[in-house]
Amino acid sequence: MRVATDIGGTFTDLVYVDDNGQVEVAKSHTTPPNFEKGVIDVLDKSNINKEAISTFIHGTTVIINALTERKGAKTGLITTKGFRDVLEIARGNRPDLFNIRYAKPKPFIERYLRQEVKERLNYKGEVLTPIDKEQVKEIVEYFKREEVEAIAVAYLHSYVNPEHEKETIRLIKEIWPEVAVSASHDVTKEWREYERTNTAALNAYVQPAAATYVNKLYNKLTNFNTNSQNFIMQSNGGTTTFEEAKKVPINMVESGPVAGIYGAAVLGKLIGEKNIIGFDIGGTTAKCSLIENGEVKVSTDYYIERNDRNAGYPIKTPVVDIVEIGNGGGSIAWLDEAGSLKVGPQSAGAVPGPVSYGQGGTEPTTTDANLLTGRLSAKNFDYDVNLDLVRKVIQEEIANHFDMTAEEAALGIIRIANSNMLNALKLISIRKGHNPQDFTLVAFGGGGSMHAPALAKELGVKKVVIPIASPVFSAWGMLMSDLRHDYIKTYIKRIANLELDEMMAQWNEIEGEAYQQFGDEGIQNEDVVFNRFADMRYLGQEHTVKVPVPDGNWTEDDVQEIVGKFHHLHEQNYTFRLDNSETEIVNIHVTALGKVKKPMINRIERQTTLEDAKTETRNVYFENPKGWVQTDVYQRELLPINEIIQGPSIVEEKAAVTVIYEGQTLKVDDYGNLIIETGAR
Amino acid sequence: MLLNETKADPFTLEIVKDSLLATGDEMFIALAKTSMSPIIYEVLDYASGLTDAKGQLLTQGNGVTGFIGMLSFMVKQTLKKYGEKGELKPGDIIIVNDPYGGGGSHLSDVGLVMPIFYDGELIAFSANKAHWTEVGGKDPGSFTNDSTDIFQEGLQFPSIKLYDAGQLNEGLVEIIRANVRFPDLSLGDMWAQVAALKTGEKRVKEICEKYGKEMILAAINNQLDHGETISRQELSKLPNGTYKADGFVETDGIGNGPFPIQVEVTITDDEFVCDFKGSSPQVPGSVNCSFTGLASAVRTIFLAITNPDQNVNDGVFRPLKIIVDEKSIMSAERPAPTSNYFETMLGCTDLIWKALAPHIPHRLAAAHLLSVCSVTLSGSHQDTDEPFLIVEPSVGGWGGADGKDGASGQFCILDGETYNVPVEVAETRYGVMLDEYSLRIDGTGAGEYIGGKGVIRSYRALTDGQAATITYGRNQYRLWGTGGGLEGSVNEFYIHKSSGEVDGPHGVYPRYALQKNDVLKLMTATGGGYGDPLKRPAEQVARDVKNEYYTVEEAKTLFGVEVNPTTFSYQELAVRK
Repeated sequence: MRVATDIGGTFTDLVYVDDNGQVEVAKSHTTPPNFEKGVIDVLDKSNINKEAISTFIHGTTVIINALTERKGAKTGLITTKGFRDVLEIARGNRPDLFNIRYAKPKPFIERYLRQEVKERLNYKGEVLTPIDKEQVKEIVEYFKREEVEAIAVAYLHSYVNPEHEKETIRLIKEIWPEVAVSASHDVTKEWREYERTNTAALNAYVQPAAATYVNKLYNKLTNFNTNSQNFIMQSNGGTTTFEEAKKVPINMVESGPVAGIYGAAVLGKLIGEKNIIGFDIGGTTAKCSLIENGEVKVSTDYYIERNDRNAGYPIKTPVVDIVEIGNGGGSIAWLDEAGSLKVGPQSAGAVPGPVSYGQGGTEPTTTDANLLTGRLSAKNFDYDVNLDLVRKVIQEEIANHFDMTAEEAALGIIRIANSNMLNALKLISIRKGHNPQDFTLVAFGGGGSMHAPALAKELGVKKVVIPIASPVFSAWGMLMSDLRHDYIKTYIKRIANLELDEMMAQWNEIEGEAYQQFGDEGIQNEDVVFNRFADMRYLGQEHTVKVPVPDGNWTEDDVQEIVGKFHHLHEQNYTFRLDNSETEIVNIHVTALGKVKKPMINRIERQTTLEDAKTETRNVYFENPKGWVQTDVYQRELLPINEIIQGPSIVEEKAAVTVIYEGQTLKVDDYGNLIIETGAR
Repeated sequence: MLLNETKADPFTLEIVKDSLLATGDEMFIALAKTSMSPIIYEVLDYASGLTDAKGQLLTQGNGVTGFIGMLSFMVKQTLKKYGEKGELKPGDIIIVNDPYGGGGSHLSDVGLVMPIFYDGELIAFSANKAHWTEVGGKDPGSFTNDSTDIFQEGLQFPSIKLYDAGQLNEGLVEIIRANVRFPDLSLGDMWAQVAALKTGEKRVKEICEKYGKEMILAAINNQLDHGETISRQELSKLPNGTYKADGFVETDGIGNGPFPIQVEVTITDDEFVCDFKGSSPQVPGSVNCSFTGLASAVRTIFLAITNPDQNVNDGVFRPLKIIVDEKSIMSAERPAPTSNYFETMLGCTDLIWKALAPHIPHRLAAAHLLSVCSVTLSGSHQDTDEPFLIVEPSVGGWGGADGKDGASGQFCILDGETYNVPVEVAETRYGVMLDEYSLRIDGTGAGEYIGGKGVIRSYRALTDGQAATITYGRNQYRLWGTGGGLEGSVNEFYIHKSSGEVDGPHGVYPRYALQKNDVLKLMTATGGGYGDPLKRPAEQVARDVKNEYYTVEEAKTLFGVEVNPTTFSYQELAVRK
């Protein structure tokens, strides 16, 4: 049996698939700060036979929590002489342009714990000043006295030549074997010292907490006599073993959220859709990501706590490209000082939650608007819903200002929320040169199915898929995952000066390293699949385009083809190409998958009729044509396969509701997914 | 949507407004991603946005604060020159950098303006403005600190058509190619600007297509009124009165100065008036600022004071009024050189800041580095022999403020989403090595909330014959503190020659010749302090000592705290009680 558990802000989800291909789900409350307890709770709740677990896959928020709550280890930094303040100077940027009281992000390592060593390489990696080993030893002794718990090591140009960092790690381990250490080249091999140093610092900072957590979880699982292989979801959309996860825990920073996007890609393969927009609406945010040709896009352009007011902290770890905005079910609708309606990014959260929860919420949210307009019914809630209170709040907080009814205002809230989400969807599609008509929207999370059909039509997407297990789809994605490692290395070479032998040596070295790492994780060479990419640009540019490049040994023809592909992708992304300009490689990137045996997803069989599935007819307030419409409501689990339902109508399931509009149709496919034709032309 | 509710529906208006803002963002990102020049993609020294048909700013994506408002002046100049005569056509793109006529800053900042037509009617403009690495002129990098007239500063584009109804003016491109030192960079940036403008045009047309022209025009008006409403509400929260400040622009780069400047700010219930009368006339050197530059300076600080959070459009600035003498240092006219206009612009921003800081401490702070601290370094790379050119501003200290210490190592207020160049990138691209990039610890800026630290950045030349043009304004007068906080320091630089000789300190210096292994040590100022240093919590002072932000001696004399240098235990001295 293959089991996946995913810790979210409010709930810990579980999905498993047994040896007959049967998929089941369970949910339990998340239990901070002892998150492993929630995992055990949900295992208990699911009633599965724990000894029968063969594979256990886990998505966790432990890393991101340790970072955002500043609950990591006391960390020291060893760096090149003259550069200990790199972490504090950072990049000097100020997104909040007009704020004279701008609060710059505070480094995770205080100045007295940032220590310098005499050593220096030039940009080619040549040693100009050999490392002063005595100094390293003194610093380690100092850190001991200061009761440091983790040490990061980051020297200039170590991405070209890591020898000095390696030597430093050896020295530290010699003197102080117990302390957690993290060398920058082990975490990222890209240039830019602030970003690399910060990544190493944050990795060190979370290392002890990660190790404790993974060990605790492992012990609990062992106590159940499971003989399972255990994996943890990483930010790159693949898994790694518990042991590897402890080495570079920063790779787990987006452990949970990316799994849903990965799941969308897997589902796409199953149902024959290669181009997908994955779309996930939760309680506080909506996330989306574009999958082209079955390929989940991964980059290292990732930050925490970064927004249009704050520079945040860069983490150069491979993360699935996700655009996230502060718009979810719990997002609060409000009027700004000039009386314009806004929705989010403030959220009512899980407590007190929307007004409809009846837990003390006093501000109108998107969920409340969906309730008042009949998209949700009181029966969908675990709480006793006071509809009059919801109406009163929307009337007083929003509708009165515009001199309209509460229902009209509620519709306004939904439209503004949709507009926000539409901008995010456009950002990853139209604005990157893609035509939404070529894509299918796979929508999941608690709110995905509610908003997706309307948004897809607006965006010009013809088909929406609400996958099986859509409210816990991230966990489903984990079930279907392979092991994955991304190797990214700054390697600056003009195409005109490219030496094929040297280039091939680079690829082979990386791929050798990958075989080694997978070998340690119990994966045979024949189960390893590589994909190569080169981050390329026109000479003089800064930003790069990721270009898929061929496997094996390259010929001159291959190189010409790569350049051609680059011109094409540049034009697609940025509207123009410079055919006569010189091109160069900046980074080389290998994605390596360690394929594991995955469950077959069964086709479902179901002998039901639409009448069986229909639970009620209720009034729903629609926009176009505007007004209340008698709308049929169905229960998802009872819908007959491949039978067409005309919109407007509603499909309910546990923890999610799908709303389709006039002119749209919906059917259940052979696997139990809902397939919606949006009516977009 | 139903026809009979077009005007009434407030939510559609909101959605159209959002689409316009999103278009602004998209244009902004497009330019950075395709630019060829570090000054654009790292420093983000550019702005882009949309205006209405009259040139009123609707939305502006800013990399640098200082460009705020300049786009509308470019469009208004375009309207004056072509629009009034009916000479604007779909597909036109106008190029402008004339500082006195629509440009507003210096020749290096090249603006492009594109009228957007829908159904044959002019409905909006898409515009952007970007710092080109090169526009010709007497020195590499074009903007310089010892020019004596505009003709030495590069090519002038006085609002001419780069595209006429979609037809490229090939002759103009050839002139640019022949007159600038790095034509691939400059023209590459120009194409990136053109592409971004076209994106804006395309999106605005799509919005028209979808919602109808009427709805867009209604949303535009609504957007401007919305800005004004919020601005007036914030204005009403400010204390009415008249506030004065004076200061200096220290030098014009060719030996003259300091030049006195002054302001009288009058805040009433519905106006914010800045009167600069009595300030120095325009000067021989290149620190002159045109009226457009002054307007941007005032707008910047006005936004900081009223509401730093909002979206910016011309409606926001309706309560603003600027009064200035003709041909002053901040309203210069042709042919005054304006290369380093930004130093005077900063001086003007600082005057209002300084006048109001004691009265609205919750929005302002003590003085920050008060100079762009621009560095231009040219030479050849030690390995490739290829020429290189560094053009970059420097980070320095910001002032302490009520409730918070000043930020260390930040670009000045006129920059913004500006990024320093990483050491590893600089050492790869340029013929230099960096000996250090560290905080400058100089014991200044003490206060209950201390000034942020300046920074030391030391470039070691790796080839002979390099030239450094440094403009570190604010080199003589230390940064002011407020509310009892002490002064910060000044911006300055030294040359440590390979011979062992040390030259300096200097502030503004053109083309300093560097030979191999000479080290250019750039030091920016520590910000002013806020509040009485004796009120800084003693525990925090001990922490400052442990972190080596202040010495044991300074803790004692400035903060009245005796700190043990090994254990960092502390004791408050009598002076604090």
